[in-house]
Amino acid sequence: MAQAEFSPSEEVDFVVVGSGAAGGIVARELAMAGLSVVVLEQGPYLQLADYTHEEWDVNENEEMVWGPKKGHPQTFRRYEHETAQLMDRAVLSYAHNVGGSSHHFSGNFWRFHPIDFMERSVLGEIQGSTFTDWPIRYEELEPYYTKVDWEIGMSGLQGPWDPPRSRDYPCPPMPVKSSGVLLERAAKKLGWTAYPEPHAILSQPFNGRPGCIHCGFCQGFACEVGAKSSTAVAMIPQALESGNCDLRTMCTVARVETNANGRVSEVVYWDEAGVTHSQKAKAVVLCANGAETPRLLFLSESSRFPDGLANGSGLVGKNLMFNGSTSTAGMFEHPINAYKSVPTTRVIHDFYSIDPSHGFYGGGGIDARHLSRGLPMAFGMQNSRFTGASWGSEFKNKLAREFTHSCSFNGHSTSLPLLSNNVTLDPLIKDRWGRPALRTTFMNHPDDIATMQFFVDRSEELMEAVGARNVTSRFAADGQTGGAHLLGTCRMGDDPDFSVVDRYNRAHEVPNLFMVDGSSLVTGGRGQPTMTIMALAFRAADNMISAARRGEI
Amino acid sequence: MSDSNLSRRAFLRTVSDSARRSLLVLSVPSLLMAGQQARAAQNDARGFVALNPNEAAEFEAIAARIMPSDETPGAREAGVIYFMDNVLDNENAETLPSLRKGLSDLQAVANTRFGSSLLNTLSDTSLDTLLREIEESSFFATMRYLTMAGMFASPNKGGNRNRTGWQVVGFEGNHAWAPPFGHYDAEYMETGE
Repeated sequence: MAQAEFSPSEEVDFVVVGSGAAGGIVARELAMAGLSVVVLEQGPYLQLADYTHEEWDVNENEEMVWGPKKGHPQTFRRYEHETAQLMDRAVLSYAHNVGGSSHHFSGNFWRFHPIDFMERSVLGEIQGSTFTDWPIRYEELEPYYTKVDWEIGMSGLQGPWDPPRSRDYPCPPMPVKSSGVLLERAAKKLGWTAYPEPHAILSQPFNGRPGCIHCGFCQGFACEVGAKSSTAVAMIPQALESGNCDLRTMCTVARVETNANGRVSEVVYWDEAGVTHSQKAKAVVLCANGAETPRLLFLSESSRFPDGLANGSGLVGKNLMFNGSTSTAGMFEHPINAYKSVPTTRVIHDFYSIDPSHGFYGGGGIDARHLSRGLPMAFGMQNSRFTGASWGSEFKNKLAREFTHSCSFNGHSTSLPLLSNNVTLDPLIKDRWGRPALRTTFMNHPDDIATMQFFVDRSEELMEAVGARNVTSRFAADGQTGGAHLLGTCRMGDDPDFSVVDRYNRAHEVPNLFMVDGSSLVTGGRGQPTMTIMALAFRAADNMISAARRGEI
Repeated sequence: MSDSNLSRRAFLRTVSDSARRSLLVLSVPSLLMAGQQARAAQNDARGFVALNPNEAAEFEAIAARIMPSDETPGAREAGVIYFMDNVLDNENAETLPSLRKGLSDLQAVANTRFGSSLLNTLSDTSLDTLLREIEESSFFATMRYLTMAGMFASPNKGGNRNRTGWQVVGFEGNHAWAPPFGHYDAEYMETGE
């Protein structure tokens, strides 16, 4: 069946704003259940043949991310008393295209563990943080994690490292790389476990899509063969095929209108030519990500919702979390060629929860990667990680050895939610549509920094254990200045005073409005949140379908 | 322990299976590369657009000190200057006025110090001396940035001719691989650890 075409004046069942990790799933689930769906996506629907490995365009000039060079400025400040500064590159980084950031992610899919959902109860209050339990538990999400495994398409090896799972992975793990072998050898020496990284990348043909060809351009690039399980290849085609989904690309949402009953009624947007349209709908699902969803709620203020739509709690945009990250580089005797194949093939979760006796909260994982995501230009542009020289013969010749003979053990870790870390509308800077730019205010909780230092220390021990030379570490010891994991800005919870959406992602204050993306995460997990965003999307869609069938939308 | 040995064997089996399967899909990227090389050949025949020949010679002289030609090729062999000309005519056009200013400032210093305002006539040592003095300047940062970009962008963008830049760092731009990828995973395939 062909893509549906609805008229804007016709009231469809759902408008879904955004077609990324969450939106692609919600649209597919609703459409396949027979509900009429309009998807509004601000980027294009790129096809496999449109993708390139051109580092200059894709990475350096943010061709998919659409930073300031594409008319999407963002501002940043540390603290609320400061004036935010316009930045050269996207502060909050996400891809603008059908599939959203699931198109350019690395597909490292860690399920959250049971502890992630109830950590506040176990550990108690953390000073300065709004750290709290989720309204749901791991067991309630497990069937949906399994749904992600099988419907999105995952590769991995089940084992004692997994949280409880009801079914094996559909595809075997990706072949181990030299960087993964070194991490595994190091872990073994220290009595830790390095297990095969679970990937949303197919190691072999599955569900009509081909297996990975190990090109090495996962992170920040779209997959030219469709082996990476983005929603653009795993979900959207099925949504369109259902005949119930009208996908409108290059459409930028201006605001969501509320009617006299306090319900959302239509979504106003601009098409590529700048013409304004308004789509009527019975319900609206915002899947615009942890940055754009709160921005849209602010832009949809009204006399009934003066501080932003569905923002009675005052928590829209607040509790922004990125996940901590660290990099510890080492040189080795033989070629590693970490630029080939997927970024990472082994992961250590022995420090998923750091013992509280250390005096700070935190936890995470360690994997092994190339120093510049496998990209030669990025490698040349950064100064050498191992020497002071940044140009000339010495620099060039060291670069030659370092590109192939080094790798990095990277920490991925917790971020605490803080009210003072948030997304708001910039009062001065406007984007190409005249909308206020995204303004990020962010400074890590001290425990985030202590946790990153902890992972640097463990990574250096690992490097030493496996005989690396010239070991050197990097992390944002003065606080992070941006990120790609955009979490927490419309927190989920049972109490409308302390959360924005309920346990089924429905806005507490607006019964026919849903927010489904990274914004609903209560805590940020240990560094790889997308699988949880997807599992929540499957679960929320299930409940939307039941509610629609009961006439409760 | 027996559990982990079992899973290790299962894992090794899957490694060799997927290695065999991944060989089946190598044709598409090689077609893409053929197209890129054809376009790079067109660039060769083209003159400079954004830069005049004198400027081009000067900027190339600087790029050639940032990535020198020694035991391995450098910015000259990679045709970095053609990349620069391309992007300074397009996405980096707004950088050109400040680059021209930076160049004339440096030429003035060269004239005072070495009696020639033409950087490309200076010895490597003299030019290195001048560049070391302006290492912290935005002019040098931009020159370094464009040199790296021109070394490592695909040949499609005008530089990195014959993949010179990629060869220098050992990046093989094949765009598809099968294991083993490096020394240690080759060992792992043999020994299981």
